[in-house]
Amino acid sequence: MDDLKEELKRQLIEQLNLEEITPADIDDDTLLFSDKGLGLDSIDALELIVLLEKYHGIQVTKPEEGKEVFRSVNSMAEYILKRKG
Amino acid sequence: MKFITAYAHLKENICAVNGEMICRRDKDSGDSWFKQIYKQQEFVYPKFHKMDVLSQAGFLTSKLIKRANPQFAEKYKDDEIAMLFANQSGSAETDQKFVHAYRNGAPSPSLFVYTLPNIVMGEIAILNKWYGESLFAVLPEFDPEFYINHCHILLSAGSEAVLCSWLEIAGNQIDVFTFLIEKEGENRSEFTADNLSKIAFAGNLHKTEINANY
Repeated sequence: MDDLKEELKRQLIEQLNLEEITPADIDDDTLLFSDKGLGLDSIDALELIVLLEKYHGIQVTKPEEGKEVFRSVNSMAEYILKRKG
Repeated sequence: MKFITAYAHLKENICAVNGEMICRRDKDSGDSWFKQIYKQQEFVYPKFHKMDVLSQAGFLTSKLIKRANPQFAEKYKDDEIAMLFANQSGSAETDQKFVHAYRNGAPSPSLFVYTLPNIVMGEIAILNKWYGESLFAVLPEFDPEFYINHCHILLSAGSEAVLCSWLEIAGNQIDVFTFLIEKEGENRSEFTADNLSKIAFAGNLHKTEINANY
């Protein structure tokens, strides 16, 4: 689980071009879409969907899940593990 | 009467503000040319790294103009500053990158949003919270009369200042000339087609044959 979270942080930085951020700057529970967290926007949300498919082979088929899935690295990791069963 | 109160040139290997070179490209740097300017000028705006080259060029030159003319943004209401941009190639540079990404199976939404040339004005508007008029035209070449005519309309219809730009990036060729037009400008060049041509051309004198790697 910890390895997956570290991997996700590196993937987030690469996929979203977060050049001024390092994995160490992202806590597992940092809010991805809050100004108090990473401050991502709606285009970034689309990039996260691409990220899940590109790196983890997971398609987000229920848009209503997105808000909870993309809340933090923790929630993304839990979702990936759940989907991979 | 109207005046050209500040201007910036961005070419393949130099960046100049009001005719003074402020940054020369380091061809040995691992950073892109635009990122070199961003870092050297100590700008802090993480979204810069997500922008396409057209928006990065607009961001850099508009920030440099504001820095050179610090009172400018405070003088006007947020809907009194208009933007008038033009180029020859539209967003072709980013369009091609998107097509390439699409063909290779991983089209990027964040790349897709830049496949319109006027997005650069949206980026500048968001950055500065400007809500004035904006127009982006695709023209065969830099045409001073285009800016004269449209600035006249904008400044007669509620705008107090116009940030203008010729923003042409095609392959390794970079020809960016951003300038600010205001109704008042002590000791500044009058906004005429002749003066605009002279100032625009002055930027070409800085050009050399170094290829860009923006």
